[in-house]
Amino acid sequence: MSTMTLYVEKNSILHNTAPLTKVLYVMVSIAITYLIPEIAFVLSVAIITLLLLILGKVFRKIVPILGLSIILILSIIIVQGFFHPQNQTILFSIGFVTFYKEGLSYAALLTLRVMNMIMSFGILILTTKHDELVEAMIKKGLSPKIGYVLLSVLQLIPQMRTTMAKITDAQRSRGMETEGSLLVRMKAFFPLIGPVVLNSINITRERAIALEVRGFSSNQKRSFLNISKEYRYQTAIQVILWLTLAAAIVWRILTWLS
Amino acid sequence: MAIIKVENVKYKYPDTDKLVLNDMTFDVEQGEFIGLIGKNTAGKSTLCFALAGLVPHFFKGAYGGKVLVNGLEVRQHEIGEISPHVGLVFENPFSQMTGSKYTVYEEIAFGLENMGIDREIIVNRIEESLELLDITEIKDKNPFDLSGGQMQRVAIASVIALKPSILILDEPTSQLDPQGTEEVFKVIENLTKEGITIIMAEHKIDKMAGYTDRILLIHEGKLIDFDTPAKLFSREDLQDYGIIAPAVTRISQSLGIQNKENGLYPVTLKELSREMGDKR
Amino acid sequence: MNSIEVTNLSFSYTPEIDVLKGIHLKLDGETTAIVGQNGAGKSTFVKLLKGLLRPTEGEILLNGKNTKDYTVASLAKEIGLVFQNPNDQIFKNTVIGEVMFGPLNIGQDEQKAKEKSIEALEKVHLEKYLETNPYDLSLSERKLIAIASILSMDPNIVIFDEPTMGQDYAGKETLKEIIFELRNQGKLVLCILHDMDFAAEVFERTIVFNQGKVLIEGPSRDIFAQKEILEQAYLEQPYVAQIADELGLKGSYATDEDLLRALKEE
Repeated sequence: MSTMTLYVEKNSILHNTAPLTKVLYVMVSIAITYLIPEIAFVLSVAIITLLLLILGKVFRKIVPILGLSIILILSIIIVQGFFHPQNQTILFSIGFVTFYKEGLSYAALLTLRVMNMIMSFGILILTTKHDELVEAMIKKGLSPKIGYVLLSVLQLIPQMRTTMAKITDAQRSRGMETEGSLLVRMKAFFPLIGPVVLNSINITRERAIALEVRGFSSNQKRSFLNISKEYRYQTAIQVILWLTLAAAIVWRILTWLS
Repeated sequence: MAIIKVENVKYKYPDTDKLVLNDMTFDVEQGEFIGLIGKNTAGKSTLCFALAGLVPHFFKGAYGGKVLVNGLEVRQHEIGEISPHVGLVFENPFSQMTGSKYTVYEEIAFGLENMGIDREIIVNRIEESLELLDITEIKDKNPFDLSGGQMQRVAIASVIALKPSILILDEPTSQLDPQGTEEVFKVIENLTKEGITIIMAEHKIDKMAGYTDRILLIHEGKLIDFDTPAKLFSREDLQDYGIIAPAVTRISQSLGIQNKENGLYPVTLKELSREMGDKR
Repeated sequence: MNSIEVTNLSFSYTPEIDVLKGIHLKLDGETTAIVGQNGAGKSTFVKLLKGLLRPTEGEILLNGKNTKDYTVASLAKEIGLVFQNPNDQIFKNTVIGEVMFGPLNIGQDEQKAKEKSIEALEKVHLEKYLETNPYDLSLSERKLIAIASILSMDPNIVIFDEPTMGQDYAGKETLKEIIFELRNQGKLVLCILHDMDFAAEVFERTIVFNQGKVLIEGPSRDIFAQKEILEQAYLEQPYVAQIADELGLKGSYATDEDLLRALKEE
């Protein structure tokens, strides 16, 4: 049974970067594209993120997600191209549809920001084991309960699949057809979904008990079975990232003042 | 001194009007292996929950009387404070897997991490529990890939690793084959030698007769009897409480084989064979 | 007479590991217990009989019908399987509605389905709960509902997967009655069990599975007298047989009465 993990087991510089450094990268790279709304700048940030993905050997994994977001991106372009409030300079017209420079450049900016956002999350999720990430965050003060929820959500699908298989067997054994026309499958909906829902309510309650008696609500400071991996140069990288953010903020304040 | 003290405990679940625990009083000494029997719906699981503090903290409802475990009055302390003293394993192993761990090894670590135990000790405890339950082979598997029987062993190992001073087990061997059941009983018996107190609810009467020190018989929320297996199973009225005596006892009763000193019927093979031997 | 014929049956999920290999069995009228260690292949075997899994090799004939030629749903009239966990099937909000689900699926009309369902509920002593929500009943009662929901379809072959699990003395007595009654109606009853006492006492025949193979099969009495073979399959003798063995009695014993008779003769 596979868990719902997106992590790609490879050996790369990014795989050997501390989870929290990558979290910081996601935050900083997104924040600066908002602080400095210059197309050239945002483009270069997006390109850096793209290069990092390639460096992390996970670029191919992100392609389908980027593909999906193209629909979103197209709608941004169309809406902004037509209706941006500052539309003044006509760029070109196709039939009765007129595109303005202001609208299109704003659309380009938004598009680049979204792509950068997707790719930087991609770096984090594709090159980081999620239990390591969550544990690192708990050590930094994230509530262990929230950490548990984040981790258990990822096992929900495989668990549901097991339950679903058992339920399907039980109902087929009572003469219910599950294969065939749409009507047949629609008729099978309640007999299959009913037990899934009732089961999961039941299991959630029992699991809550099991967690409680294993000290889930204990106020004790948690310890960890897995040793935190040692990563080199992390402080340096993190300092650079913080400085980048600071520089962007300064730039922003200066542009306001001038 | 008694490690478990139950005094006049009464309890009913929210929105019901039947007392599931009806004025129960008993004491358990440290290191005892106590069997808990009674028909289904007699209140066995509820009693287990009451000893672990889930009743009344988790289930709420109306509660009266006192339960003391290891000197803590259950009602006055949160489950988080009680759980290091009292471990609980129950029947359904699927819902006892945390769902946040990817290997059996890590699954067993869950409670130990919550209790903030040092890493070296965690590793030792895991290794020890894996060995005790004979599941070292599956330590790297995903808990949800296991069979019911394997999962049940993992559930037991996860709680044993916490080294609670009191261990409560509610039908822990339901999915195990006969030899697996026997092994679990042996493991549990060995824990009592380390001073751990055991309360175990089970339908497997014949096994209980051989392993437990005393048996607690309950019926409709009331404590009917709390005595050694020999005395308890020698009662003539067991069937009134939906219980059948172990095979050895049934045969002895039919043949009129009694222990000459105390007049009780044998409950284990050894006892029967000794009495028969004397007779022949 | 109802029959199951299994020839050279093998099954595997992955090519490397055989779950079942080379099983030959012929079962007819007798009630049969299937015993074996966890993971011996018992559940896989009954799922194959039921048609939920397809053999990798070999054939299964149910009353002459090859399971390969039928869908699971269309075999439902022929063979019924009661699963371990009733929560995996219950979805109606009344007991009667739940039990009628199967009969309606296999084409009984409303009237007949209701009749059959009430009859089945009487057998498991739950006829007073027709309009109750199954989830207001206890787990052991829900197990009985799951049994009734198969009995109401009136299949010729009935299989139970670990029905004694979590049942108390009264529950086991009810099960015993049901099995004897099915037997008297000429049905073929198969039952996976971890409870050797129940197997020895109730079933005429016993099959011992071990690591995907049939280790031994025959009349229950003979099987449960063989201590060594049972131990080889990680099983135990029933207590009555253990007592006989401890007391040095020869022969085979399945019930208290058997043993008492022998002891009184001595």
